[in-house]
Amino acid sequence: MIKLKNVSKIYGKNIKALQDISLEFGEGELIVLKGVSGSGKSTILSLIAGLSKPTMGEVIVDGKKISKLPDHFAASYRRDNIGIVFQKYNLIPELSVEENVLLPLFPLNLPRELMRQKAKRVLEMFSIAHKSSLMVRNLSGGEQQRVAIARANINDPKIILADEPTANLDEKLSCEFIEILRELKSKNRTIVVATHDPLFFELDFVDRVINLEHGKLL
Amino acid sequence: MNKINFYLLEYAYSYILRHKNKNIFIVTVFTLLVALLATLFFVTSSLRYELKERIANQSDIIIQNYKAGMPAAIDVSVLDKLLEIEGVTAGKLEVQGKYYFRPKESTFYLLGVDAFEMQDDPVVAKLLEQYELSDSEMLVSKNVQDIMNQAYYKEYFNFIKPDGSLHKVSIKASFDVGERVELKNLIIMSKDTLREIFGYSADEGSDIALSVANKNELEFISSKIRLLLPNAKVTSKDDLLLEYEKLFDYDSGVFLSLFVIALFTFFIIIYDKANGLSSEEKREIGILKAIGWCVEDVLHAKFYEATLLSFFSFTLGLGIAFVYVFVFKAPLLGAIFTHENMLEIHNFQLNIHIELSYILLIFLLSVPVYIAATLIPSWRVATLDADEVMR
Repeated sequence: MIKLKNVSKIYGKNIKALQDISLEFGEGELIVLKGVSGSGKSTILSLIAGLSKPTMGEVIVDGKKISKLPDHFAASYRRDNIGIVFQKYNLIPELSVEENVLLPLFPLNLPRELMRQKAKRVLEMFSIAHKSSLMVRNLSGGEQQRVAIARANINDPKIILADEPTANLDEKLSCEFIEILRELKSKNRTIVVATHDPLFFELDFVDRVINLEHGKLL
Repeated sequence: MNKINFYLLEYAYSYILRHKNKNIFIVTVFTLLVALLATLFFVTSSLRYELKERIANQSDIIIQNYKAGMPAAIDVSVLDKLLEIEGVTAGKLEVQGKYYFRPKESTFYLLGVDAFEMQDDPVVAKLLEQYELSDSEMLVSKNVQDIMNQAYYKEYFNFIKPDGSLHKVSIKASFDVGERVELKNLIIMSKDTLREIFGYSADEGSDIALSVANKNELEFISSKIRLLLPNAKVTSKDDLLLEYEKLFDYDSGVFLSLFVIALFTFFIIIYDKANGLSSEEKREIGILKAIGWCVEDVLHAKFYEATLLSFFSFTLGLGIAFVYVFVFKAPLLGAIFTHENMLEIHNFQLNIHIELSYILLIFLLSVPVYIAATLIPSWRVATLDADEVMR
């Protein structure tokens, strides 16, 4: 489903984030990318999401060369296929929970009733519906994490990308997040988690742990 | 972009509210700019309109006699010579002039009329249809009546003739001048009575008014009259218009307005450029791209944001200018434009007359410029990799 073929990514003049990486992830798999900061985990997520383009090599998702897509198609590819959970949640603090969750759909100009139904579904799925009208800045870290996951799932994406998802969560909230991942995997979502949190490495439902160091596979 | 996306519109609105301080500053500057320019244009267009209206009621060419550089009476025999000029269709000897009323330090404008003559001014023509004036009677405006009443002249007034003797004229009626404020000190009486007051003989008047068939020939005919009467002052409608244009310093006003608009718009652009987009704003664009917005969507939302802000400021500015000029009658500014202290054209009233071309000019020089200044930095950020923007 996801294929990275001889991918290299160089930032600036000579910062080699990835060096000739080839990887393949199957549908419904849960992959953990393991490594210290700067090992290239987040860059892989960014390339799969089409947020940046590889310096060399190709990224192919469902047979489409993501790395070659122009902006407009890359955006609709992300909206329809990818849900991203960021380390710092990347929510807009002054918007309500519901507005944040629906933000990816704003450009589609869908009927209001359909938008409400979509928001209700994901907010209930991630147990945050009771806070839908609150501003995100008034929520706890764990609640903001749920909103970010709800937003990532608003369009039922096939692929979930999570970048250091538990870095700002305590142990209890981290366990809750893992349960959410288990549920998403049970729905046959392909999940790629970039983390250095050991909690993920021994999980029974993780299919593979990939070790990275200085932009190379170990 | 052909259908309004209300979600993006709401997002843009919330964005404006979320960046209150910066946007309040922009709205304040923008509104002031538009209000200032609109005020200048409202005042000038209103005054220009009134001037044109006044000139429309005047004769095509007016000839005044000068002796030793001083205004003097003109003889009716001159009229016969003038009527022989090709293109002149009609002419009449007029008797009119100013009269200083010392008790109240006012200047009245005395107009001599002949019941059998056609009147150019519709107000005067209508009054003469209503009232038949004898040689000892006059019609006065409400304002003149008030001034005379204050000096205890209720039924008549004694005009002082050049030889110092008095000439008594009764007030037959008073009239309302409506919006024609330039007529507010008008007194109408028979030509013979006025000749008596001014000390003219029966064949003399203050000036000669001519009508011309082809208005494009005004200057040509004027030059012919100047050759015929070297001592006369010849004023055509075109001359009057030119004089008024100069008087209102119209060209300088427009220049000043354009300068001010350029300066303020430049200031707004500089403000935006200097600040660029804050790291928070850049990050937000990065987030939007990461969750599936394309460059076009980001610019669409930014377009709404800039449009909301600039239209609001533009409308507010116009509203403020309208109230200032037409409700409060432009305190301070009105006096500057009518050169109140320099020239005797102070009887102006700012009636609502707006030239849409000026509003369009202000709009074009402010709103699209601001929208462009908002879109350009956003476009720059939106075209970068979202990953790079968020890092």
